[in-house]
Amino acid sequence: MDMGPFAAWRWQRLFNDSNIFILGLKNTLLISFLALLLALVIGFILGLASTSSNKALKGVTRAYVEFFQNTPLAVQVFFFYNALPALGIKFSVRAIGVLGVGLYHGAYVSEVVRAGINSIPVGQLEAAKSQGFQTLQALVVVIIPQAIKIMLPPLTNQAVNLIKNTSVLSTIAGGELMYLTNKWVSSGTLNYGPGFVVAGVIYFLLCFPLAYLARKYEENLKAKTTR
Amino acid sequence: MKRKLYLVLAAITLVAFVAGCGNNNSNNNSNTNQGGSGGEEGAMLEVLRAGVKSDVPNFGIYDPETDTYSGLEIDLAHMLAKELTGDETKVEFTAVTAQTRTPLLDNEDLDVIIATFTITEERKLVHNFSTAYYEDAVGLLVKKDAGIESLEDCDGKIIGVAMSATSEDAIQAAADELGVNVTFEAFSTYPEIKAALDSGRVDIFSVDKSILRGYMDDTTAILDDAFSPQQYGVATKLANKEVADKIEELITQWLNDGTLQELIDKHQI
Repeated sequence: MDMGPFAAWRWQRLFNDSNIFILGLKNTLLISFLALLLALVIGFILGLASTSSNKALKGVTRAYVEFFQNTPLAVQVFFFYNALPALGIKFSVRAIGVLGVGLYHGAYVSEVVRAGINSIPVGQLEAAKSQGFQTLQALVVVIIPQAIKIMLPPLTNQAVNLIKNTSVLSTIAGGELMYLTNKWVSSGTLNYGPGFVVAGVIYFLLCFPLAYLARKYEENLKAKTTR
Repeated sequence: MKRKLYLVLAAITLVAFVAGCGNNNSNNNSNTNQGGSGGEEGAMLEVLRAGVKSDVPNFGIYDPETDTYSGLEIDLAHMLAKELTGDETKVEFTAVTAQTRTPLLDNEDLDVIIATFTITEERKLVHNFSTAYYEDAVGLLVKKDAGIESLEDCDGKIIGVAMSATSEDAIQAAADELGVNVTFEAFSTYPEIKAALDSGRVDIFSVDKSILRGYMDDTTAILDDAFSPQQYGVATKLANKEVADKIEELITQWLNDGTLQELIDKHQI
């Protein structure tokens, strides 16, 4: 029998246990989707707040962004999992997944939103105001529709990173693809070869279309604006 | 132009991959050859590269202050090194986990795994295992104030286990018999399971009893329950029969002449 790590019989074993990888894919998708929603909500609120002239508001958003950008996601997730229960707060593992990854990427999304809004010339806001718009109105009707084009490619990159970062949850028995893969390769006949390759391919299939769309969109946008 | 670049990149990746596989095979051959010629000089290996645990008190534990490993499996590695290399100090230790130990053996980064590696029928298909040098039952560690006396009280509880699933299978079978419903969460290292027990994330920490003893403290207790005995063997790469045979011979000898029992007594496990 071929004993190489990629031997045919090992692939057969993986095929027989394919339900485990499908379950992992489902859980990864669910956590990613909800975490992305959370990240977008937090990101837009904080991103808008950071462009305001209110110093306190700016300070709070800055602190949030710096905290979540400058500590590792793995540490944050471990904290949610093992330290919060000491304070009487016990989220389910899946909730920690959504919350941990969502809060983390919310910080990055807010930076994208801030940069997007700041990239629109101040004159646009002033012009809108001269036409009788309130500041928030002007933002929603005039500024954001222009900024969103600039934000979309980096936002998609955030979505791609977010999907990949859900794999950090494997350290807290997160039930997602990486956790179930780790568990599968360390049991039975230890088929780490096919196990990690298939997990990698699944992550790629989730992320590549997003990255591709973002790139295409950006190229189209460039072609349009340089015309 | 771009498409061509992609093709070139894909080709390079493929070639590198295939070459990598090929290299592995030739390494195989050259290594066994070296082993053969080395054998004639009396030493099978120049140095014994051993994969051990770094977080299991009494078996294999790493002390960062002195930068040394200690425990039963560490002593065993030194004893094997003496026989295989002629010098008991010629051992290189590498800390391994459930996910890293098998690839490290397959890639020949390590000669042996002595890391509370439980012998199973399935694992025997992919590695050589020596006769067991230690046998232990799976146990349950709980918080004293949790009100758990035995597995019967564990209905609806979460059990923290190590990634390698042998203890999970053992407990699941016993729980099924009792009609008790339990769920499992698996972690890569034992300290992670202990942290999850302390924070109340899991209700029970379950691995082999001798390992559990290393994690017992004032707030926790090991229950009397014991499940299917786990046997630890020294694992070698399947193709590496020569070293495996020698190790098997040595372990059997040490089992019979009481050397291993002395070692077990020394570490009080």
